[in-house]
Amino acid sequence: MAMNLQTLSKNEDLLAGGHRACAGCTGSNILRQIMLTAGPDTVVGGATGCMEVVTTIFPYTAWKTPFIHSAFENCAATISGVETAYRALKASGELPVPREKMNFIAFGGDGGTYDIGLQSLSGAMERGHNMLYVCYDNEAYMNTGIQRSGATPFGAHTSTSPAGTVKQGKEQHRKDLTKIMVAHNIPYVAQTTPFHWRDLQMKVQKALEVDGPAFLNILMPCTVGWGFDPAIGMELCKQAVEANFWPLFEVVDGEYKLTYKPKEDRPLMEPWLKQQVRFKHLFKPGNEGMLVEIQRWVDSEFNKIMKLCGEA
Amino acid sequence: MSRQFMKGNDAIVVGALQAGCRAYYGYPITPASEIAHAAAMHFPALGGTFIQAESEIAAINMVYGTAGMGIRTMTASSSPGFSLKQEGMSYIAGAELPCVVVNVVRGGPGLGNIAPEQADYFQVTKGGGHGNYRLITFAPNCAQEMCDLTVLAFDLADKYRTPACLMADGFTGQMMEPVEVPLAKEVPYDHTSWAVAGTPETSKNLISSIYLESNDLERHNLKLDAKYKEITANEVRYEEYLCDDAELIIVAFGIVSRIVYSTIDEARAAGKKIGLIRPITLWPYPSGIISQHAERDVQFLSVELSTGQMVEDVRLAVNGRAPVHFYGRCGGNVPSGDELLAEYDRILEGGRS
Repeated sequence: MAMNLQTLSKNEDLLAGGHRACAGCTGSNILRQIMLTAGPDTVVGGATGCMEVVTTIFPYTAWKTPFIHSAFENCAATISGVETAYRALKASGELPVPREKMNFIAFGGDGGTYDIGLQSLSGAMERGHNMLYVCYDNEAYMNTGIQRSGATPFGAHTSTSPAGTVKQGKEQHRKDLTKIMVAHNIPYVAQTTPFHWRDLQMKVQKALEVDGPAFLNILMPCTVGWGFDPAIGMELCKQAVEANFWPLFEVVDGEYKLTYKPKEDRPLMEPWLKQQVRFKHLFKPGNEGMLVEIQRWVDSEFNKIMKLCGEA
Repeated sequence: MSRQFMKGNDAIVVGALQAGCRAYYGYPITPASEIAHAAAMHFPALGGTFIQAESEIAAINMVYGTAGMGIRTMTASSSPGFSLKQEGMSYIAGAELPCVVVNVVRGGPGLGNIAPEQADYFQVTKGGGHGNYRLITFAPNCAQEMCDLTVLAFDLADKYRTPACLMADGFTGQMMEPVEVPLAKEVPYDHTSWAVAGTPETSKNLISSIYLESNDLERHNLKLDAKYKEITANEVRYEEYLCDDAELIIVAFGIVSRIVYSTIDEARAAGKKIGLIRPITLWPYPSGIISQHAERDVQFLSVELSTGQMVEDVRLAVNGRAPVHFYGRCGGNVPSGDELLAEYDRILEGGRS
C-alpha cells in the first residue's frame, strides 16, 4: 500500500534526534525515511561506519528499535544470525512476544559494503535470509577521514587518491554493486536516493514484503567528503538522478524496471561535478579529458541500464 | 639531515621512504589513517606504489606478495585492523619474508574507541596469529623514534627474514614533534637466494609455508625457533634511567614512559629513589636487565595503558625474587604525573601490591 506524505509523517520517527550526524547529513535522513516505512517491529544492524558511530555512542542510542552493532566487515552475517535465531524460536514456539512479521535490516556504508563487507553480504544473500541490506553510499570512507572506496567515482579527490602534481584523483571508475547484487538472483534489488522519498518508501516497502533477501543501494551525498554547502545535499541527489549518474530502478526477480524516466535532454555531468570540492581539480587546464571520460562512462552505464529495463 | 615538525604517523612514512621502502598497502582506520594518507601522497611521487586495499586482509596479503619478490614493503593499521591481519602475518612469518607492519593501538576490545591504549601487547608480542612465530616489536615513544625505529625495523626484518612490527599508540601517532630526518639509504641486502623476483637467478626459489610431512614441519619450526633465539640474543633494546640505586624501578614503554620520565626527577628531588627501565623492543623483551636488578632489594612497578599485560613479562623476568606491582589505565585515559607519584608513595610505604 503506497503512502502519501501525510500518512507517512504520522508514523513514529524511530530515529531520535540529538544524534551526532553532521549538519546537512543526508544519511540520517535515509535512516529516518526507511524506519518510517519499516515500523517498530524491526531489528536494525549497523556495520561500523558513519551512521553507526553517530547514532550509537555508548551509553546512548538514537534507535528506538533493537539495534546491534557489528564490525566493519560483517553486518550482513550478524543480521543473518539474528534472523536465523528469530526463525528458530518462531518454529519452536519459543518467541517471548510473537509478532506477525519482523523486519531485519542491515545498514552499511559503501566501505563496509562494496569493499570489506562484500563477502559477508554475498553469503547472506546466497543463503536467502529474510532480510534487507541497505547500503548508504556516500562514495568514500567518510568516517575515517575520506579515503577512496570501490564506490568512489573516477577523478574524485580523497585522502588516499589525492589530486596533486603526479595524479589527478581516483584512477578507476566505481564498481557497480547494484548489478553484483542482482547477480545473486535475490527477489528484490533497487537503487534510490533520499530526495526521491516516494520512490524510496515504495522500494523499502517492496523490499520488506518479499520472501527472502533484498538489497537497496541509496546515494548519500556527504557534505564533508564531497565538499558542498550543507544546504544542497538533497539537490545533489536530484541532480545525480537527472544527469543519469544514479538512475532510479528496481529489479524484481531479475526483471529490471526503471522507476524514474529522465528527460530526453538530460543535464550533463559538469554542473553536478562543479558543485563539489572533490572534483575541483578536474576543471583545471589539462584535465579536460577526464571530464570527457566521466561523461562517456555515465552515458555508457546509463544506456546499459536502459537496455536492461527495456527502454532502449 | 633536515629537521622537520611532523606527526608521529607521518614520521613513520618518512622513515619508511628513507629506508628504501617503495610499496605501501593500506586500509582506512582511525587513528592510523594518516600513515596511509602520507603514503598515498609521497610513495607514487618517489616512483613507489601506494594501493588502498579492499580490506585489511587484502592489504597484508599484498605485503606478502611484494615481500616475496624481495622488495621492501609495509602496511599500517590500528587494533581491529591489526586483528584482521593476523592470518596473513602468520603466513609471512612461516614463509620467512621481511616486512614492516605498524599497529597504532587504540582502545578495545571490540570497536572500543579511537583513543590510545597499549592493550594489544599480548597480541603483538606473543605471535598474534596461529603457529609458532614471533614479531620483532618496537615501541616508539616519540615522533623521532617513529621514524628511526621504522628504519631499524626494515633492516632487522631483512637481516632475519622475518616480519617486524612497530607498536605505537594513538598519542605517539597523532602528536606533532620535531624529527631529524635521516639520510636515505641503500638497501644492503641481496635477496636473490630466496626471493621470487621473475629473474633467471630466482626462478628455482620457492616461497611457501606448507609442510605436509610432520618431520618437515617440525624441522621448519625448529629452524624458526633457532632464528627467534638468535634475535633474542642480539636485538634486545631498552633504555635505563637512574636504576642503579633505585628502590622502585618503573617499567613502562611508549607514551607512558614519557610520563614516567617526568615523574622520576620530581620523586628524586623529594628523596625517593625511583628509576625507569623502558623497553624499546617489546619482543625480544629486555628480561636480562630486569633480572639483573631483581638480584638486589628492589621493587618493580609496571605502568601500562591496559589492565595488565606487560606486567606478566616483568614477573617472568623477576621470577619471584622481588615484588612486582601493576598500575594501569585504559579506554583512552592516561595516568597523570601526580597519580603516578601517589602510586610510588603507596608502594614505597608498603601499601599496595
